[in-house]
Amino acid sequence: MALGDVKISVQNLFKIYGPNPQAVQDQVFDGIDKTAFMQETGHVLALNNINVDMREGQITVVMGLSGSGKSTLIRHLNRLIEPTSGHVFLDGEDVLAMDEAALRDLRRRAMSMVFQKFALLPHRTVLANTILAPEARGENVKEAEEEARKWLDRVGLEGMEDSYPSQLSGGMQQRVGLARALTSNADVMLMDEAFSALDPLIRTSMQDLLLELQRDLHKTIIFITHDLDEALKLADHLVVLKDGYIVQQGDPQEILLRPAARYIEEFIQDINRARVLKVKSIMAPAKSKRGCIDVVSGHETLEAVINAHQGRVDGVFAVSDPDDPAKIIGKVKMEDIYRALVRPQMQHD
Amino acid sequence: MAYDWIFSALGMSEACKQDSGPLMSLSALRQEEPSLWDLPFPSLDTLNAACAAVPRTRDFTAALQDGFLYIRPALRSVLDPLTQPLSWMLDGALTLFVEMPWWILVPLLILASKLLSNSYKVASIVAVSFLFLLFVDYYEYAIQTLSIIFVCTVLCVAFGVPLGIAMSRSDRFQNAMIPILDMLQTLPTFVYLIPLIFLFNITEPKLYGLAIILYAIVPVVRLTNLGIRLVDRDVMEAVTAFGLTDRQKLYRVQIPLALPNIMAGVNQTIMMSLAMVVIASLVSAPGLGTLVLDGINNLRLGVGFLAGFGIVLIAIMLDRVSKAALARIDKSNKT
Repeated sequence: MALGDVKISVQNLFKIYGPNPQAVQDQVFDGIDKTAFMQETGHVLALNNINVDMREGQITVVMGLSGSGKSTLIRHLNRLIEPTSGHVFLDGEDVLAMDEAALRDLRRRAMSMVFQKFALLPHRTVLANTILAPEARGENVKEAEEEARKWLDRVGLEGMEDSYPSQLSGGMQQRVGLARALTSNADVMLMDEAFSALDPLIRTSMQDLLLELQRDLHKTIIFITHDLDEALKLADHLVVLKDGYIVQQGDPQEILLRPAARYIEEFIQDINRARVLKVKSIMAPAKSKRGCIDVVSGHETLEAVINAHQGRVDGVFAVSDPDDPAKIIGKVKMEDIYRALVRPQMQHD
Repeated sequence: MAYDWIFSALGMSEACKQDSGPLMSLSALRQEEPSLWDLPFPSLDTLNAACAAVPRTRDFTAALQDGFLYIRPALRSVLDPLTQPLSWMLDGALTLFVEMPWWILVPLLILASKLLSNSYKVASIVAVSFLFLLFVDYYEYAIQTLSIIFVCTVLCVAFGVPLGIAMSRSDRFQNAMIPILDMLQTLPTFVYLIPLIFLFNITEPKLYGLAIILYAIVPVVRLTNLGIRLVDRDVMEAVTAFGLTDRQKLYRVQIPLALPNIMAGVNQTIMMSLAMVVIASLVSAPGLGTLVLDGINNLRLGVGFLAGFGIVLIAIMLDRVSKAALARIDKSNKT
């Protein structure tokens, strides 16, 4: 399986809570109001026709406010919650058709998980917490501990192996949670609001740690968050969830530049666009740097370009491939950079 | 009579008269219309006076006894072999600990209390208590009491913990068990002995063994159930997400995390066994309780008091050792 292939495919997924979910499923349609559905049927519509492809080696971020169904969605991927209807395919195999043994095997080998409240075992040391997945698989404890030590070092917890979780700060506890997920050696990592319970500074350093790990490991990461800044920082593919349905999904830059709904537009109001948008997203394709005053990497944010040229308002820049600085892939005018900072206006009714 | 009118109104006077015995004619002798002030409650006895076909309360209790005696052989044939190991265990423990010389057993007990509590203070309480009991010649009685408590506590844990685990896994089973546990806990201790006396030979150790176990098993069942239900849901979700089997979850997560509560239940169970073993001396349980009973029956105040003090010493020893063991588990769970 190559990077970029579809690893997990969620298709037509519905989840309805209540006394008789099957019976009321016919009354569900796209964009139905959750409150009205509750009043009419007495059922809670948690997920409404979810279709997402999560690609190998990418970070798919599912973002939404509380009650949008994001935590419910991630729990369907390893079937901690059973759906009302729909499919979840992992490498083409239907997770929902698995029997108990196959499902347990999937949880032990194919998917690991990091939790908002860390969910470490309080009676075990850091090291004993970290080997949970190999232990569940029945592997040799000595070897598992060796592997666990490696990952604990990697997340910055060297020397903490024999501490108990209650002796660690929140940030360190979540590093243990991360090491536990990494020690499982699963391709897929499910992260349920993994950094939401941490202080802003620690959250930022954990995000950086995750991105740094991801550069080497190329895991398929499903990341749940309610924080748009976090979502934009981490996402290769962003899914915006509201009241159980997907409002918009795609490349985060694309969503910022072309919001498809009023809801998204409101959401991105307070975002510092200069710091999030990248040169690559707004450039026009080109092959040579003729007539350009400078070359910038496509990976640079608009803010970086503006800062580097100290507020200069004219000129044209060549844009180079982020992976190959010698290769020119496009051009961008300084005025386009400033124009991109203006929030897109939608036709409002 | 006060309630004659009910039966005449129902047209049952005939049915009543057929059964009229000598008592009916007796009550007919003092036939006065009672004033409202003297109106009796329509109890079984009052209604019987009006209609002899209604059973009296003593007929009712006699029927209960007859009913119990009727099922007794069947009950015995099942329970007798089933509980026979209990007699063997009690006999074995009593023989073993009483026969063992004091200069082996007492140091062993002191050492065990030191190992369990990891505290010299607790171990010295045990040492001083035993020296006192030896000094006043109540040592053998005390050892008998302790042997019974030991066997009963082990059995309470062996049956109580699995019961508590089963309760924690099924709400339905829990709802069925709670009234039974409530009843076991609130029944007056003497009431336990009544059906057991009917069922078993009064000389059999299992008679008092069962009474003690039924009474003392409740806290360990309750607290095991509670402890497992109190295990953090997030932690349980996490171990499910990492693919632990139910058995792995139980032994590696739920029981270790519930251990402080389970141990609190064991402490309660031990104390309740001690309370019951004294009362069980009424049905030939050996130990300090027999001395207390002797004190009551023969008005020997000194014997009763000294034996009572011995029981207090045993209570202090058992409580301190089990509490110190509990505190150790609590500590290792938190830090």
